[in-house]
Amino acid sequence: MGDSSPREMILIFRGTHQVMSAEKRLKGGGVPMRLIPVPRRLTSDCGLAIRINPEERERAREVLAAAKLLPVSAHLLRGEGVYEEVKF
Amino acid sequence: MRRAGNPGRSGHALSLRSARDIFAARERLAEVFGVPDSSRFVFAGNATVALNQAIKGILRPGDHVVTTSVEHNSVMRPLRRMEGAGVSISVVQAGRDGIVDAKAVSAAMRKETRLVALVHASNVSGSLQPVGEILRAARRRGVFTLVDAAQTAGSVPIDLSTLRVDLLAASGHKGLLGPQGTGFLYVRKGVPLVPLIEGGTGSRSENDRQPDFYPDALESGTQNSVGMAGLSVSLAWLLRMGVEKIRRKEMEIMGVLLDGMAKIPRVTLFGPRDPARSASVLSFLVEGMDPAETGLRLERRFGIMVRAGLHCSPNSHRTLGTFPEGTVRISPGPFTTMKQVALFLSALRKISSGA
Ligand SMILES: Cc1ncc(COP(=O)(O)O)c(C=O)c1O
Repeated sequence: MGDSSPREMILIFRGTHQVMSAEKRLKGGGVPMRLIPVPRRLTSDCGLAIRINPEERERAREVLAAAKLLPVSAHLLRGEGVYEEVKF
Repeated sequence: MRRAGNPGRSGHALSLRSARDIFAARERLAEVFGVPDSSRFVFAGNATVALNQAIKGILRPGDHVVTTSVEHNSVMRPLRRMEGAGVSISVVQAGRDGIVDAKAVSAAMRKETRLVALVHASNVSGSLQPVGEILRAARRRGVFTLVDAAQTAGSVPIDLSTLRVDLLAASGHKGLLGPQGTGFLYVRKGVPLVPLIEGGTGSRSENDRQPDFYPDALESGTQNSVGMAGLSVSLAWLLRMGVEKIRRKEMEIMGVLLDGMAKIPRVTLFGPRDPARSASVLSFLVEGMDPAETGLRLERRFGIMVRAGLHCSPNSHRTLGTFPEGTVRISPGPFTTMKQVALFLSALRKISSGA
């Protein structure tokens, strides 16, 4: 999935530690993800966010809920620089 | 400077690398102490900063604290400061071996007691305190507990899943084998701690109030990510080695030292004679010789470096009867060999016999 991928989901966490923990859990659970700088259009809760393919949302949810690491917010990329906040 | 990015302040590669170093150090620290949620380990510049955060973050005017007569000044001085702010303090006297009686600590607790603060092992006598019993007694009374594990972290096994302590502080540069300028405070979930330092955390940047979640609540300003990179490596080594194994090795060395030194005329040992009741720290004096002089001779003639004097803990010395001249202190570590122990014993024999 390249940077220009039209469909991606961005997960925002409370702090750096929470992003790092979420990354560890997702990788451990075999959910494909990438750590990215928080897109400027989204309120930055810390410098980093997690990007997943929206199709992985269910699996990501399961893994993160089990670890009590649900994101503060989730955003779908709708078009160039246009995000829609969605329920995770 | 490949590792000097500022974590949590941006998303570039150096910042990310620093964030990963700090995360790795935190995760490994939590593993060493048997805690699943590493966010409860807050980093600090040293044990002193962590102890100040614990003490000044939990005490309020009108509170009462129980502590012991063998505390380091990094516990006693913040407590004395709080005394000036309306906190009252009971200091429980330890025995001549530096060990405090758990029942005496229990008996000192009152209705308004908020905190029991005690050292896990004295940095002067090495005496291990009966922390398990004291923590249980405090818990029954609903009193918060703080353990200063500066001398035991990484050297004596501490399993926080069974040892129910509320706050535990230690240095990164002693038994955890990390660089200087590292230390931490563990805060059990639900323990209400007011941050000592507030400021930028990289999180909730749109908000001018300190975040309430861990570790950010207690970690403001640029963190020592270079130190954390070092600490994470030493912690990985420690995990591979196992603290249990280090403890067994150090106890064996302490046993040989205690036996050997007890046989040297004019040498007085302080603290427990049983390695099982002591951390890897041992104080002694050569009769009629200033501790600084003993230290100087050990270094000049034999290349053995020790600490001599009061060890930042005047009360411990009063307890042992070695105030104000202090003691000479040796502290074998995981890399100490039996050959070095033999060399030390022979050096001490020569010094004490005036040879
Ligand atoms: C028992 C004890 N508490 C606290 C400290 C303070 O540790 P730090 O130098 O990391 O602040 C020390 C170290 O000197 C110590 O031995």
